[in-house]
Amino acid sequence: MSLKSKLGRLKGHMTLNTEAPSEPVNSNPVREKEEGGASIPFEQVWAEHSTGTYKMDGQFCLIREVHYPVDYQHGIYTLKEARKAVEEWNAVSYTHPLSSKGLRVEDMFFFDTETTGLGGGVGNTIFLLGYAFFHEKTVTVRQHILPQPGFEIPLYQSFLEKVNYHTLVTYNGKAFDWPQLKTRHTLIRDHVPRLPDYGHFDLYHASRRLWKDDMDKVKLVNVEKNILGIERKDDVPGFLAPYIFFDFVERKDPEGLLGIIRHNELDVLTLITLYAHLSKQLLQKETTGKSLEVARWYMGLGEKEKAVRTYERVLAGNNAEERMAAAHALAFQWKREKQFGKAVNAWLEVSKKGKAEQRIEALIELSKIYEHQEKEYSKARECADSALGILSGLGNSKKRETMELDLLHRLKRLDKKLKTGGWN
Amino acid sequence: MIGKKSLSELIAELRKNENIINWHEIEPQEAKTRPMPASVDYRIKSSLEKRGIAELYSHQYTAYETLQKGENIVAVTPTASGKTLCYNLPVLQSITENDANRALYIFPTKALAQDQKSELNEIINEMGIDIKSYTYDGDTSPTIRQVVRKAGHIVITNPDMLHSAILPHHTKWVSLFENLKYVVIDELHTYRGVFGSHVANVIRRLKRICKFYGSSPIFICTSATIANPKELAEQLTGNPMRLIDDNGAPRGRKHFVFYNPPIVNKPLNIRKSATVEVNNLAKEFLKNKIQTIVFARSRVRVEIILSHIQELVKDKIGTKSIRGYRGGYLPKQRREIERGLREGEILGVVSTNALELGVDIGQLQVCVMTGYPGSVASTWQQAGRAGRRHGEALILMVASSTPIDQYIVQNPEYFFDRSPESARINPENLIILVDHLKCAAYELPFKESEEFGPLDVKDILEFLVEEKVIHQNGETFYWANQSFPAGNISLRSASQENVVIIDQSNTGDHKIIGEMDRFSAMTLLHDEAIYLHEGVQYQVEKLDWDHKKAYVREVDVEYYTDANLAVQLKVLEIDRTEARQKTSINYGDVSINILPSIFKKIKLTTFENIGSGPIYLPEEELHTSAAWLELKEIDPDLGEKTLEQLLLGISNVLQHVVPVHVMCDRNDIHVVSQIKANHTGLPTIFLYDHYPGGIGLAEDVYKRFDQVKAAAKNLIRKCPCHDGCPSCIGTEIEGINAKQRSIQLLDLF
Repeated sequence: MSLKSKLGRLKGHMTLNTEAPSEPVNSNPVREKEEGGASIPFEQVWAEHSTGTYKMDGQFCLIREVHYPVDYQHGIYTLKEARKAVEEWNAVSYTHPLSSKGLRVEDMFFFDTETTGLGGGVGNTIFLLGYAFFHEKTVTVRQHILPQPGFEIPLYQSFLEKVNYHTLVTYNGKAFDWPQLKTRHTLIRDHVPRLPDYGHFDLYHASRRLWKDDMDKVKLVNVEKNILGIERKDDVPGFLAPYIFFDFVERKDPEGLLGIIRHNELDVLTLITLYAHLSKQLLQKETTGKSLEVARWYMGLGEKEKAVRTYERVLAGNNAEERMAAAHALAFQWKREKQFGKAVNAWLEVSKKGKAEQRIEALIELSKIYEHQEKEYSKARECADSALGILSGLGNSKKRETMELDLLHRLKRLDKKLKTGGWN
Repeated sequence: MIGKKSLSELIAELRKNENIINWHEIEPQEAKTRPMPASVDYRIKSSLEKRGIAELYSHQYTAYETLQKGENIVAVTPTASGKTLCYNLPVLQSITENDANRALYIFPTKALAQDQKSELNEIINEMGIDIKSYTYDGDTSPTIRQVVRKAGHIVITNPDMLHSAILPHHTKWVSLFENLKYVVIDELHTYRGVFGSHVANVIRRLKRICKFYGSSPIFICTSATIANPKELAEQLTGNPMRLIDDNGAPRGRKHFVFYNPPIVNKPLNIRKSATVEVNNLAKEFLKNKIQTIVFARSRVRVEIILSHIQELVKDKIGTKSIRGYRGGYLPKQRREIERGLREGEILGVVSTNALELGVDIGQLQVCVMTGYPGSVASTWQQAGRAGRRHGEALILMVASSTPIDQYIVQNPEYFFDRSPESARINPENLIILVDHLKCAAYELPFKESEEFGPLDVKDILEFLVEEKVIHQNGETFYWANQSFPAGNISLRSASQENVVIIDQSNTGDHKIIGEMDRFSAMTLLHDEAIYLHEGVQYQVEKLDWDHKKAYVREVDVEYYTDANLAVQLKVLEIDRTEARQKTSINYGDVSINILPSIFKKIKLTTFENIGSGPIYLPEEELHTSAAWLELKEIDPDLGEKTLEQLLLGISNVLQHVVPVHVMCDRNDIHVVSQIKANHTGLPTIFLYDHYPGGIGLAEDVYKRFDQVKAAAKNLIRKCPCHDGCPSCIGTEIEGINAKQRSIQLLDLF
């Protein structure tokens, strides 16, 4: 039996994964005229869409370039707000992972890719490298497009020739886009320049930190819609990118792919707006209700001074819940600085007005200060007892069990101290 | 209480047992050693000396010296002969010579990999050199993974992980692939059949990637005794191999005893159940605190024996020290049992062939096999579980009533003189090959001129282009699909999805207790089936076939269940035919439709049939290779009914004989007889591979049919029954002289 007929017969046993996408792809009849091998299919259509070609050793890739004035409004800001953000970072003394201190906005490129599949395997091909960057009066969006599998050398060669920046700005690029780019680069590393080491601002983590309670999934489109005031019209959803690309490879007609190109263009523009907005939050130039998260982040980074200032700002605000959280956090800081009086006052308030967990923690902290600093054992005992009371009204969890054990132990010790007056 | 009996005392007693039909002693062997080669690094030398190894056994020495010459080796080594040093020594040596050198160890299971890491790290610690060895498997945490990829000198993994996690992400392993000096494949003999065919293709992919990064590793394989270690290693790795089999390890005296249960029904030649005999024999050893392993042929059998033995000895030693071991137990449970055996807390274990593998459970004193394990190689593997370097060991094979068991115990020379079987793989099975070509194209673009095994793969590449899985650009094929191909390909079984077994005995606390492949689930996990797990009986309340879940509940019943399959068979294409006088032998492609029909309830104590029920499951279709025997001229005196029974009888014999001759599990090859085959209307017996596309077993039968025929005739002739019994042609025969007629019929082929 011939190999081909055997293949046909056994097809049912194979997993070929060629089922159609779940949503229809807008496909048009083939319009391509048979063209000679040397020329580029639909070159005219590409040209009409600001796209030229980059040729190299009989292969080529497509490069699209469009320009926006810096006054262009994308969502709640114009693009030049990002420049302002960079200048402001340069003016402060504290540090942060997203701080562009020491950089100019011209040193940054706002970067996003489109790929033929999901996940990080070697075979997941990047077919579009898109990025935006600043000039004095304009912002350029440039996109390098793979015309078919196999032409990656011109794609990466042109990219590496043109990208001469210090720091890339991405959305989840640390986990996905950049490692994937490194992977594909490794496959042709003997033919193209090596990859420089870039700085990297990944805005996904920052967005998650600030808004994870505000949306289901902190995806870029959700951030656009809920935070940045960007509503996309006729956007081609990203999950269709692989189907559209393979359809393009087969038919060569750019029409479908132009939708993906537009999608990518909006993505990189959004990165500019998002960087400006995140910076404003972190620099606390605007209060948009995220000061508490920002303060916590600085505290986590060890930027105590900035953290304390931000907490104080929350404390001065009028959101009662956030004020309690800030007071609670500040009290811990005051305790560390041995300003026990201030800490006690803050915790006394938290122990009355905070959420259950905060009240328990405040009472425990009060109990500690009364016991160890002020030797007021009966006050200490009272606080521990109240904490236990609140705790018993809550459900069970591992953390609460440990707390309960700890409190019982504390009470026992305090009872002993009360009997002996602390002398034993 | 009277003191315990020693193993020697028990052996002396056993010698008087009238059911022993053959007693074979294997003489002890002195060690054959060679001095440590001068080139070995002093730190390795001193660390080995600390472990009491000042010299090498002859096979270890030859392995080392051959590898130094740059040749690939396959070392054949029995259990407990120090095989790990055959690869650890050259690998460690190469790293002491150049810190950049890397090695990849491949073990068939995660458990074996874990064992190895501990042993290897002990040596490394004593050497005082910073050599990093890591296991890389599903349990490795993401943070460690980074370190393993960048800095692991020795990466220990399994073929599945190599296939789905390492090769498709090779760009994260640049330092490994650029510097790969050795690839170690341990337990080579386990890579046979479907699994071996897959792994051969995984190795092709591995070698492609090494070539891309400029390395060309030397392969070190180790294998238990099989007939064709060199051939298998060469087929699996695609490299020429040097065979190393001068085993120099010492061993103590071994008693290899065949035990045939007494006949209880003379005319039908029915013997006492092997299971019952095994229970009683094992009890004697366990009562005297002698560490014993009992092997059983199936998962069900393991559970039955386990519950009986636990019951028999519960007053003496407690049930906790007797455990079961088989596929379907969760890894954690298995690790715990292995450790218990090594440390001696567990006295007895009842296992399927899962413990044939080199999992470290220490060396036990007694091995009891419930029936012939099915192949000479497998028998020696199981026997290897008993026996220490010094002191006596006992191996006891208790025959069942099946024809092959009876044949073996009554013809001991067949077993002891026979070379073990060959392990066969068919890496060119189209389904398997296509699967791995996809993975290969995903990993690196595929050049038209590139080779991938002996077959010209151009047709397949073009087929994949048509199916839009890959894209051709000039002379190169590129992956052009959104999927991750390795994710959909399992190396272990024909069916991709396993059925998960969920215990819902406690409302609100449903627990997953195991899993099973799809084909086994059809017969073991259908609605109402009794499923045994760790000696506990469960009844299947519902098998959700669409979602591959079986819901079970604990029960306490007096029976187990046994399922029947209805099989339909169509010949698609005849590839080869050999015409004989009145018959023909054929080989080609067939399609088979399998439908489980009914199940029987069988009483545990008497094995009688006490009821049955239907099984409602969808039909499964299988395209595969088959060999078939056609009867072209029929003796008109032979009634159709009689002929049908004779064919059935011969099928029964072939089903027993063939797995022995082509080295496969009973389940890998199926035998079906038809009085009127669909394609010719002639009486026909089919033997087919139970895997889509075939794995070369039926082809082997076709090629060696005369040998198979001779074995079948011999079996019928030597069976002591009057005229047909379950041990040979079965009991369905009414006509007189059925044995004689079966032999005559076989002679026609």
